[in-house]
Amino acid sequence: MLDQLVQGFAVAMTPQNLLFVFIGVLAGTIIGILPGLGPMSAIALMIPIAYGMDPTSAIIMLAGVYYGAIFGGSTSSILLNAPGVAGTVATSFDGYPMARQGKAGKALAIAALSSFTGGTIGVVGLMLIAPGLASFAVSFGPTEYFALMVLGLTAVVSLAGRNLVKGLVSAVFGVMIALVGIDSQTAITRFTFDLPELYEGVEFLIVALGVFALAEVLVMLNRRGQGGARGGVTSLRLSRREMALITPPTLRSGVLGFFIGVLPGAGATVASFLSYSMEKRIAKDGDTFGRGNLKGVAGPESANNAAAVGSFVPLMTLGVPGSGTTAILLGALLVLGVQPGPLMLAERPEMFWGLVASMYIGSAVLLVLNLPLIPVFAKVLNTPKAVLVPLVVVFCVVGVYGLSFSVFDLGLLAPSAWSVS
Amino acid sequence: MRRITSLFPSTPGHGPTRSRAPRLTAAAAAAAVLPLALSACGSDGGTTSSDGTWAPDRPIEITAPAATGGGWDTLARTSARLLESEGLVEQSIQVVNKPGAGGAIGWAYVAGHEADPHKLFVTSPPILLVPMAGDSEYDHDDFTPIARLATDYMVYLVPADSEMETFQDLVDMVGEGGANIGGGSGPGSMDHVALAGAVDAAGGDAAAASYVPFDGGGEAMTALLGGHVDSAVVGVSEAAGMLAAGELRALGVSSPETVEAFPEIPTLLEQDIDFTFDIWRGVMAPAGLEEAQVAYYEDLFADLMETQAWQEESVSLGWTDAYQNSEDFGAFLDEQRTAYTEILTEVGLQ
Repeated sequence: MLDQLVQGFAVAMTPQNLLFVFIGVLAGTIIGILPGLGPMSAIALMIPIAYGMDPTSAIIMLAGVYYGAIFGGSTSSILLNAPGVAGTVATSFDGYPMARQGKAGKALAIAALSSFTGGTIGVVGLMLIAPGLASFAVSFGPTEYFALMVLGLTAVVSLAGRNLVKGLVSAVFGVMIALVGIDSQTAITRFTFDLPELYEGVEFLIVALGVFALAEVLVMLNRRGQGGARGGVTSLRLSRREMALITPPTLRSGVLGFFIGVLPGAGATVASFLSYSMEKRIAKDGDTFGRGNLKGVAGPESANNAAAVGSFVPLMTLGVPGSGTTAILLGALLVLGVQPGPLMLAERPEMFWGLVASMYIGSAVLLVLNLPLIPVFAKVLNTPKAVLVPLVVVFCVVGVYGLSFSVFDLGLLAPSAWSVS
Repeated sequence: MRRITSLFPSTPGHGPTRSRAPRLTAAAAAAAVLPLALSACGSDGGTTSSDGTWAPDRPIEITAPAATGGGWDTLARTSARLLESEGLVEQSIQVVNKPGAGGAIGWAYVAGHEADPHKLFVTSPPILLVPMAGDSEYDHDDFTPIARLATDYMVYLVPADSEMETFQDLVDMVGEGGANIGGGSGPGSMDHVALAGAVDAAGGDAAAASYVPFDGGGEAMTALLGGHVDSAVVGVSEAAGMLAAGELRALGVSSPETVEAFPEIPTLLEQDIDFTFDIWRGVMAPAGLEEAQVAYYEDLFADLMETQAWQEESVSLGWTDAYQNSEDFGAFLDEQRTAYTEILTEVGLQ
């Protein structure tokens, strides 16, 4: 296997592929940072560009966009409470309170470090046990997924803390939104009001942007003074004690995230929420979660990056996408004439190992790229309200429209914001 | 609703009222195409020269009524790229994605451009099945068929170590009431029809076959590998990797003759089951195109399929060439619709 990995690095280290890794993770970071613009629309936009490229270079670049976006998505979650991608919604729970307390630099540094660690755990897992994991992924049937979803929902309800009724009501309301559309088992339409635009349901990111980003904008408008989060830019230095505090959650959640990512039916978003509720339960100071606890940033950030990498296991070894984004990646591969599946490792080892090696390189590039930029990003907090508010609204609108070019979806964005503010 | 009043209310099948019952015979459908083309009065762009030929004068737009990366998108992008790179068109070609509602959003978009010869879209069985389920305002009668291009077939899969050897074994298992069969699309859609039709043709009780819908053929095959279903029905091209790896085995294929990539898989016909099923793919245009415009595109796609580049691409995508011109394609669509209706009635979904 070491031979193969060396061969993979030989593929990934060619100047051309290095350039594509760099382009991929850079584009991914930027897209991730912009609230609303997620990896799904980014990769969809890049398919026409990737068309005609060498398939290995193309998948290296598109994968870079994916994990780059998950990496960058935390930035806007923390600074603006506007999740850049669905997988970083959980990061905003504690990241945004930290920013409001003037600890934005610290929160961003934790996010970058845990993202890097989670991503690396994922890549090591992908390298060591990918072929064996296929059988684990396959053994997960409808019963197991049902159990996982029940666990997820109960965990979410428990996040509401002492107010169980509130938690239950919001979880049930969320399930109702998710039920909109044509049921895949019975073909019955639910809550569609005969609108064809609702037949395929409501995209999670629309609700997330409405509930978090737009609602935050409305709150900002009602608040006196300037800017969303006051306190300005602070040091991103973490003390030794803080490092010791975030290390266990980062490692734990990285492993959890990777295994969730490996499941064909769950991806970075599920992983980050499960990690958040797991960390809240494990932590002795669990009741400070949601008020700017470092561990509440470290856990989900590690989990979502590990899951993003883990989701390549079912994609490459079974040809089954684990999330909306990997479904588009699968489509891109098919367009390029590559059919991922059980023969992938045997028939196109250079592609599989090249991708794995490129992920090592990409993770390192992301860390080097992002850490120095944190003070720059954090300047967002000093942006006057009159500039910041319209910008966030524009990005939300562009991001939602970019999902499926539907004006109808924009109409859905408004009520989701109004409903919480 | 948002239906645009047809400019040609007298044209059969294009009036505002549409019946759900199978109605057009092949001959009547073929006849329907001609008056449609002849009666089109207003030309919306393009130039018709004195000898009656027509050529586009604006960029051509091909709509894929789905997101990027799906089967429709692949067909739209492959055709667009090859038409340009092989120098078959002078105008540029843009691919537009209009995803949603199983295609209905994209169809409504194209239907809104009646008689516009610069707006094509790619199509396959859902253009018949989605309207039959009542989920689209527009059905295939609201568009002009241009050409059928290629086709893929269904395979009926079991795990490599299954005791089942022939399709009849699966039908017997259905008869005993113990078969769960997965597919990559919802109930009443393509995969379900391909399963129910085959079971019915083999003398089994199609309604007793428990069809389990998954989000895509890949997930159905994963469930099969994990032993969560007994069999799965998916497209040959989707199953190619699993079959070649020996993880799954096919009981039969829905093609009229054995497929080139897997000559060892017997067709259903060879197993004395009188059933074939096509996953055909083609191109359609808005209603109200002139005859010369239809003829232009028929020839264009016929020329495209002659090229070496198309041949190479279609092999790698698992497609078999199955060209039909506008008239034959229109008749074929009506036949298919009748066949689907019969099958869905059989399983109690229509």
